[in-house]
Amino acid sequence: MTSHKLGPDDGASSSRRAGARTTKAEFLARVRGEMAKTPGLFVAAPAERPAQPRQRLELLRRELSERWPHTLERFRAEFEHVAGVFHRVPTAADVPAALERICRERGARRVVSWPSEELGVAIAPVLGAAGIAVEPMPRAVPPDAERLRIRAAVAEADVGVTGADLAVAETGTLVLVAAAGRPRSTSLLPPCHVAVFDRTALVESLEQVGLALEAWHEGPAPAERGAVINFITGPSRTADIELTLTRGVHGPKEIHALFVDGGLGLHG
Amino acid sequence: MTEPLITTPLRERAAQALGDRFLHEALDIATTRFIALRRDAFGDFPEGEALRDRARAIKEATLQRLDAHLETLVANIERLGGHVHFATTAEEAREIVLDIARRTGARMAVKSKSMATEEIHLNDALQAIGVTPVETDLGEYIIQLAHERPSHIIAPAIHKTKGQVAELFSRELRRPGLPADPEVLTKIAREELREKFLTADLGITGANFAVADTGTVVLVTNEGNGRMVTSLPRVHVAVMGVEKVIPSMTDLAVFLAILAKSATGQKLSVYTTLVQGPRRPGELEGPDEFHLVLLDNGRVAQLAGPLRESLYCLRCGACLNVCPVYRQIGGHAYGYTYPGPIGILLTAMLNGPASVRDLSHASSLCGACADACPVRIDIPRMLIELRREVDVRGIAPRSERIVFKALARLLRSPTLYRLAARIGRAAQRPFVSDGRIRALPSFFGEWTKTRDLPSIAARTFQERWRDLS
Repeated sequence: MTSHKLGPDDGASSSRRAGARTTKAEFLARVRGEMAKTPGLFVAAPAERPAQPRQRLELLRRELSERWPHTLERFRAEFEHVAGVFHRVPTAADVPAALERICRERGARRVVSWPSEELGVAIAPVLGAAGIAVEPMPRAVPPDAERLRIRAAVAEADVGVTGADLAVAETGTLVLVAAAGRPRSTSLLPPCHVAVFDRTALVESLEQVGLALEAWHEGPAPAERGAVINFITGPSRTADIELTLTRGVHGPKEIHALFVDGGLGLHG
Repeated sequence: MTEPLITTPLRERAAQALGDRFLHEALDIATTRFIALRRDAFGDFPEGEALRDRARAIKEATLQRLDAHLETLVANIERLGGHVHFATTAEEAREIVLDIARRTGARMAVKSKSMATEEIHLNDALQAIGVTPVETDLGEYIIQLAHERPSHIIAPAIHKTKGQVAELFSRELRRPGLPADPEVLTKIAREELREKFLTADLGITGANFAVADTGTVVLVTNEGNGRMVTSLPRVHVAVMGVEKVIPSMTDLAVFLAILAKSATGQKLSVYTTLVQGPRRPGELEGPDEFHLVLLDNGRVAQLAGPLRESLYCLRCGACLNVCPVYRQIGGHAYGYTYPGPIGILLTAMLNGPASVRDLSHASSLCGACADACPVRIDIPRMLIELRREVDVRGIAPRSERIVFKALARLLRSPTLYRLAARIGRAAQRPFVSDGRIRALPSFFGEWTKTRDLPSIAARTFQERWRDLS
C-alpha cells in the first residue's frame, strides 16, 4: 500500500483561488488531519518543566553561592578555551582601572558602555581622565535622529562594555538580556567586548540556564525587558575558508570577562 | 512549486565530483576534522547519550501535539507584537516574503544562513522584484558571489580553495590583487558586509528552533551575522519549517547541549540568539516589525507518512560528515538543496519520489548516519522505504524493475533457486579468476566496474549438506 503522499500538497494549493493565502485555520486543520492518522512512532514526552521556576531559581542561587569559587574556576577555564580573556578584580572600585588597562593595551580611544546604573559601577570618570571617551547608552529611547547617531557611534567604537546576566561554567558562555539601557549592539558592533559581572551571575550548566529562562518567563515580562536574549560563547569566528579558524568576522574579535570578587552595586 | 527535477543522471554528477581532485581532498579534510571534533565533544560529555535520547523524545512528543504547539507559538508571537504567516507551498512562502518586502519598500535584504530560504529559492524571487539579497554568512557570501550553491549544510563553501576565494573577491568586489590569506579575506568580507548590515531594510533568517510557550525564535551562528540581521534592519522575517517548534525553554536547553557538539564539536556555538518579536517600547534597537513564516512544503504530509522521523532533523550536518557516499561526491552531486543521507529523505519530502529515483540508492546503508545523528534518526530504514516507493510506483528504471522482480521470484522458490545456482555456476566460468568475478559483459558490467563479485561455489552449502546427511 502506498496511500501516503510524498512531496508538497500542490493539489491543495492550486485548487485555491489564485493569490489567496492559506489561513491559520486551514493550516492547522491540515496539521490536525495528518496527525489524526497516526499515534506517532513511540510513547514520548517533552522535557519536564520545573513547577514554580522563580522559586527554584532562587533556591539554586542560594546553593550556588556556597560553591561559587569552583564554578568561577570552571567558567574561567571554559571561557579561555573559547579564546576569551579572563580578568579578576577585588572590588567594583577596581573596575575602571582594569578597563583603562584593557583600552590602553589596544590603543582604544572610544568606549561605548551600558550606563553605570546597569553596570553597577561608574567607569566614565577614570577612563575620561585617561583620555578615553566613554559614551553611555541612554536608558530612555531618544528620537530617531539621535538613535541613528548612537548607532554610528557604537559602530565606530573600539570597545563595548556591558554587564552579564549569566556566566555559564559548562560552556564559558555569557548570557545578556537586552532591555532599556542594555542595548544589543554594545556587545556586537565594537571589535572588543568587555563584560563586567560578579558571583551572582554564575551558573554551572546549560540545564540551569534552562531553569533561569523558565523563571524569567514566568508571569508577564517586566516593562523594561527587551526582545532579545543573547548567549555569547567566545569571539565571533568562522572557518568558512579552507577550515582556517578566523576571529572577528562580524562580531567582536576579542571578548573579555571582568569578574568582580566583591560584587557590583546592582543588587541592593 | 517544487524544485525542478534534475535531469543529469546522478552517475554523471558523481563522476564529475570524483574527477575534481581539490574537492575530493577538501571533503576528506573537512569531514575527517568534523568527525574528530564531534567525537571529542561527546567524549568529554558523559551525559551526552542520555541527552540525545531526551532530544529525540522531545521531537517525537512535539510532533504528536504539533497543532497545539503551533497554536501556542502563534498566540505568543502575536502577543509580543509579531506577525505569523502560513505557507503551504514554497511558492506561497516566497509570495509572503515578497509582499512584506514590497509593502515596506525594501531595497536590500541581509540574510543569515538559512536552509529554509534556500529550499524555497527566495533569493532569485527577491532579485526579480528589485530587492538585492545579500548572504552574510561568510561561506554563503562566497558562494553567492560565485553564483554557486552550498555544498555542505554547515560549511557551504568547503569546495572552494582560498586562492579561488581571493580571485573571486578581487574580481567581484573590485579589490584587485588580494592575497590567498583567509585572515585578510575574512577582514574584507567584514568591511563589505558591515556596510550592508547598517544600510539594509530587511533582515531575513531561518530558525534553528522556535519555543512555543514563550514565542521565541532561536538562531545559532558563529559569526554574529544572525545578531546583526535580527537587530539592525527595520524589518525581520524568519522563515521556518513547522517541525522546528519545541514546547519550552527547558527543552531548548537540551537541544543546545547537543546541537553544536554534533555540528562543529563546539560546546555551544558562539552566538545563540533568542528573538521575541519586534523591538520593545523601551529598547534602543531592534526591528519595528517581526514576521514568522511557518512553512509546510511537504512536511505536514509526512506526519503520517513514511518520512515522519526525518522531521526530527536539527540540520547539524553530522550525517553528511560520516557518510561514505557524501565524503566521496560532496553536496553538489546530490543536485537538490539538502545533500547527504538526510538530504535524500528531505528531497523526497519536498519534491516527491521521482526526485530520488537514483538518489535513494546513493547510500551503502552502512548506518553511520543513524549513529552520528544527535536525535538518532533511523535514516537507513527510511532510505530502504524510499527505494521500495520508487519501485512500487513504477519510477525505477524498467531494467531494474525486471531484474528485481525476477530475483524476488527466484528467492521465493527453492527449486528455481537451485536451478539458477547450477546455471550460474556454468555461466560464470569464463569470468572467474581466483574465485572472484572481476568483469561481467553488457549491463552486468556496471556492477563489476567498481567492485568484484564472489563466484558461485563449486558446490553450494545445500549440496554439501545433502551429502552429509
